Amino acid sequence: MRRIIYFLLALACFGAAIGYYLWNKPHADMQSAKTDLVVEAAALFGEFDTDENAANAKYLNKTIAVSGKVKESTKAEDGAAKVILDTGGDFGVLCELDPLSQHPRTDFPIGETVTFKGICTGFNFDVQLSRCVEVK
Amino acid sequence: MQKHLFILAALFVFAAPTFAQKYFTRDGKVKFFSDASMEKIEAVNKSATAVLDVATGKMEWKVLIKGFLFEKALMQEHFNENYLESSKYPNATFKGEITNLSEIDLSKDGTYKAKVKGKMNIHNVEKDMETAGTIKVNGNAITLHSEFFVKCSDHSIKIEAGKVANIANDIKVTVDATLNPMK
Repeated sequence: MRRIIYFLLALACFGAAIGYYLWNKPHADMQSAKTDLVVEAAALFGEFDTDENAANAKYLNKTIAVSGKVKESTKAEDGAAKVILDTGGDFGVLCELDPLSQHPRTDFPIGETVTFKGICTGFNFDVQLSRCVEVK
Repeated sequence: MQKHLFILAALFVFAAPTFAQKYFTRDGKVKFFSDASMEKIEAVNKSATAVLDVATGKMEWKVLIKGFLFEKALMQEHFNENYLESSKYPNATFKGEITNLSEIDLSKDGTYKAKVKGKMNIHNVEKDMETAGTIKVNGNAITLHSEFFVKCSDHSIKIEAGKVANIANDIKVTVDATLNPMK
């Protein structure tokens, strides 16, 4: 009888530990996150511009590495930094720098070719990537 | 002389449409807050787009659901997968207009109270909504601010009976955006 109680107690502790772990599961570390797809900014924008549904199916929630020329690099008062990669038109690929990662730099000179790895969140005038880190 | 006048007139005609009527931002902030008895949940998206036509008072907002960042990874996952189904419905939009435009002078600096009416689309369910907010005009920048509540039940977002203490049905939404003339 006592054994059963001990067993149940152990099981409960184990369950609680798993629950606690899941509850506090950290966000994915973007520096070490696996890249699902590699694409040029202009090609990525083109795919979304031509067929948003198809592009969503292909890229949404994927960790992608996007290369392109810096069109704009901004930093808001609250520290949120963004880089827009040029794709030839008014809109491009908007990369939000990851607030949870350390960044060697958050200012990017216009015209420099850079690569960002981030999670594709969809098409909103620009193609948007969240939680970006620079890839060398 | 007549020729010159003609050129001058032509210039005016062609120049007129380039006067900025539409204001735009891609840096709009949309924040929401769920205040349930057991738990408080907050998330923010800092890349909402907003377009305002100053001539007509029409405005459109769009935000990508997957761009909302939560403190806890698990909540962000549940929000996307179980509640908003963001792979099927990747964005939320608001299309509406300022209904008291006659009381607002968007060409003059100042802070104005605005009433807005339109259609909110979240989780692919459209709902009429009306809210109030402020419009601040400062030179070339127009800053919009509003706070309102969105009901999960209005947008077919189902909260299981076991989660009622964790997730509120009335979600407080705060929106802030500073718009500049569209190039």
